[in-house]
Amino acid sequence: MTFIDKDPATAIDLIKEGFETAGYICDRHIATSIYLSQKLDKPILVEGPPGVGKTELAKAASEILSAPLIRLQCYEGLDESKALYEWKYGKQLLYTQILKEKLGDLLEDAVGLEQSMEKLHQFGDSFYSEKFLEARPLLQALQSEEKTVLLIDEIDKSDHEFEAYLLEILSDYQISVPEIGTIKAKTKPLVFLTSNNSREMSDALKRRCLHLYIPFPDASLERRIIQTRVPELEENLRNQLVSFVQQLRTQDLKKLPAVSETIDWARTLMLLHADKLDVDLVRNTLNMLLKFEEDIDNMSSEVPKFIAVARKEFR
Amino acid sequence: MDKALADFVEMLRYSDVPVSISESVDAAETVRLFGYKDRGLLKTALAQVMAKTIEEQESFERCFDEFFSYQINPDLDPENTQEEDENPETSETAKSLPPPTAANDDEGQSSPASGGGEGGGGFSGEQSQGGATAPLIDLLERNDRTELTMAMTAAANAANLRNIVLMTQRGLYTRRIMEGMGLDQVNREISRRNQEGDAAGADRLSGRTELLFDAVRDMVERQLALTSGGKAKQFRQDILKNVRLSNVEHRDFKYMRLLVQRMAKRLTDMNSRVKKVKNRGHLDIRKTMRRNVAYDGILFETHWKQKHKDRPKVLAVCDVSGSVASVARFLLLFLYSLNEVLPKVRSFAFSGDLGEITAEFDRLGPEEAIPYAIDKYGGRSTDYGRALEDFKDLCLNDIDNRTTVIFLGDGRSNGADPRVDILKEIKLRAKRVIWLNPERKSIWGSGDSEMLRIAPYCTTAQTCNSLNKLELILRDLLKSN
Repeated sequence: MTFIDKDPATAIDLIKEGFETAGYICDRHIATSIYLSQKLDKPILVEGPPGVGKTELAKAASEILSAPLIRLQCYEGLDESKALYEWKYGKQLLYTQILKEKLGDLLEDAVGLEQSMEKLHQFGDSFYSEKFLEARPLLQALQSEEKTVLLIDEIDKSDHEFEAYLLEILSDYQISVPEIGTIKAKTKPLVFLTSNNSREMSDALKRRCLHLYIPFPDASLERRIIQTRVPELEENLRNQLVSFVQQLRTQDLKKLPAVSETIDWARTLMLLHADKLDVDLVRNTLNMLLKFEEDIDNMSSEVPKFIAVARKEFR
Repeated sequence: MDKALADFVEMLRYSDVPVSISESVDAAETVRLFGYKDRGLLKTALAQVMAKTIEEQESFERCFDEFFSYQINPDLDPENTQEEDENPETSETAKSLPPPTAANDDEGQSSPASGGGEGGGGFSGEQSQGGATAPLIDLLERNDRTELTMAMTAAANAANLRNIVLMTQRGLYTRRIMEGMGLDQVNREISRRNQEGDAAGADRLSGRTELLFDAVRDMVERQLALTSGGKAKQFRQDILKNVRLSNVEHRDFKYMRLLVQRMAKRLTDMNSRVKKVKNRGHLDIRKTMRRNVAYDGILFETHWKQKHKDRPKVLAVCDVSGSVASVARFLLLFLYSLNEVLPKVRSFAFSGDLGEITAEFDRLGPEEAIPYAIDKYGGRSTDYGRALEDFKDLCLNDIDNRTTVIFLGDGRSNGADPRVDILKEIKLRAKRVIWLNPERKSIWGSGDSEMLRIAPYCTTAQTCNSLNKLELILRDLLKSN
């Protein structure tokens, strides 16, 4: 995509359009942060409730930039050997075994221990070279010749140490491997970090990133999202459905329905050949939207009221 | 970075948005990219660069709107005004200002915008002109708006108007600025004219001085509105941290709650990190092999996967009797916040009998839970002995060498035996026992205070009567893990 040289307003509109063609409906905030991250070479820390399309954003970005997506899913206990790099120990061992005899030949004409050591030192570092380095997602993203989109998903699930490893990559796009030295990015990747805010990120990390908060979409945006994702759904039903979900979100629930759940619900209603919301249909499919028994119980009685409001709004 | 942005950063810092240096560099870059033209876009962009949490985002938006609606503040950088002159929004803002009330009263009000536009050269040169070199009388006589504005700005800088914090300082700053501009001379001139019979001249001068006063007052108000919101809050919080818990007023309760919450969060963040790698759990084959490459692959240095998370287990007991009534609310508040941020806190309250309130703390918000605890357990006369007996029955068996037991109370047992033997038993089992007493050490042991008997059976017994002290004590303890 060639938005980089355009003036900001045009570029941001272009990005928005690009996302829309990729099937991701976004607002100006999101487009602005993509533009900024390209201009300032900064990673984007995406926060928001689950299911508002944080991960999708990275996928869509990879599509419109036609850059491969490298994804790193974080979890408790994730360490640098799974995220950054690892030595190929097996290969190292195998090579030492195979080369044992060769070494004997090489050292044949050396006199005394010192000379042998001297000779050995000439080959010493070859076992800890890039040939024996197993690249994990973060290193892959740095080594790639073409531009990549690096998605570090659910960073809040990882440990504090891991967050610290990330700092070097996020600010300088480089990794220090003690045995080799510093590996710099060939092409700086576009980095997304997503977080559900299950714990607060450190200030150091936040400082290095742009901060993008994606809230639940408003009604009109959500209608457009449903329109794009479930185009077969009839307009009237779509409007009622979105209105219903928006009302649900104003309630005290254990887990509020997210966009992804609205989409699932829309698909369900389509499969059931529904043409309007009615009480039984909604009650029977409420489990698509609400994921706690308690929530479903509480909301069942409210369903007629919500449907009435939705119908009133869009008849 | 231009001055407007620097001012904005400063304002943000006072409003709970900690903008780091690198972030302000990014902000400057963003401003360069976007310019000041499209405010909406600039706001979106700057928010992402500078505000890094949802709360900060809210603060940011408020500040942004406030700051840029006060664009024509004489303090703003003239260089920007040039850029903004093309901006329809600015001229709108200028128009929306109250129109001049009399023919010649616009000395300060509207001239800043025009003065700024013309004086693109910056204020450094003008400052030296302010006040001293061009006597105020002369300026007033000539009614030279531009010069008056410059003098006003210079005097405001000299009086450190930027540091204004409270509403009550308005008069003081207005006066200082006026004096800086040479009010004394003007007053003398007015009385001289009156004595010499030049009543018309005196009236004219005093009328204009009054108008200048108004202009200066307006400037002070604007500056106050701009920065004080955040500053006053911080000022208040700083005071609250140091004030005696018993003297905190009821209306500050919600601030306290915020402070306590933040403090408790900071303490637990610091202490919930993975502490040790233990020699048990799953064998980490990769790491073990890697470590043993040097030994020809013979595995004699092992590496284990399991990590031990050191999360403190806390039992907290709070005295809610009459003698500590004034601080009980805050101690409970602290307990409540600990409960929120630490996974394993059990809370107890007592005056006579002791009971567990963990469930209520989990279920209710602090506004309900704290009065509930005081209602249910407070009001009776303190009996530490009975409370400790109850405590022993309830949970002595749960105390192990990882448990921290915190007592919050004044140790005044109304003459009843404080049962230090139970305390001793608790201390033997627990990792540590902390006693926090709102009274000063010098009165421990006076009257019915049993602190001198209690203290030896605690790992630490400390005076704790302000939030800052509370934080220091707990931090030290958690650090010495």
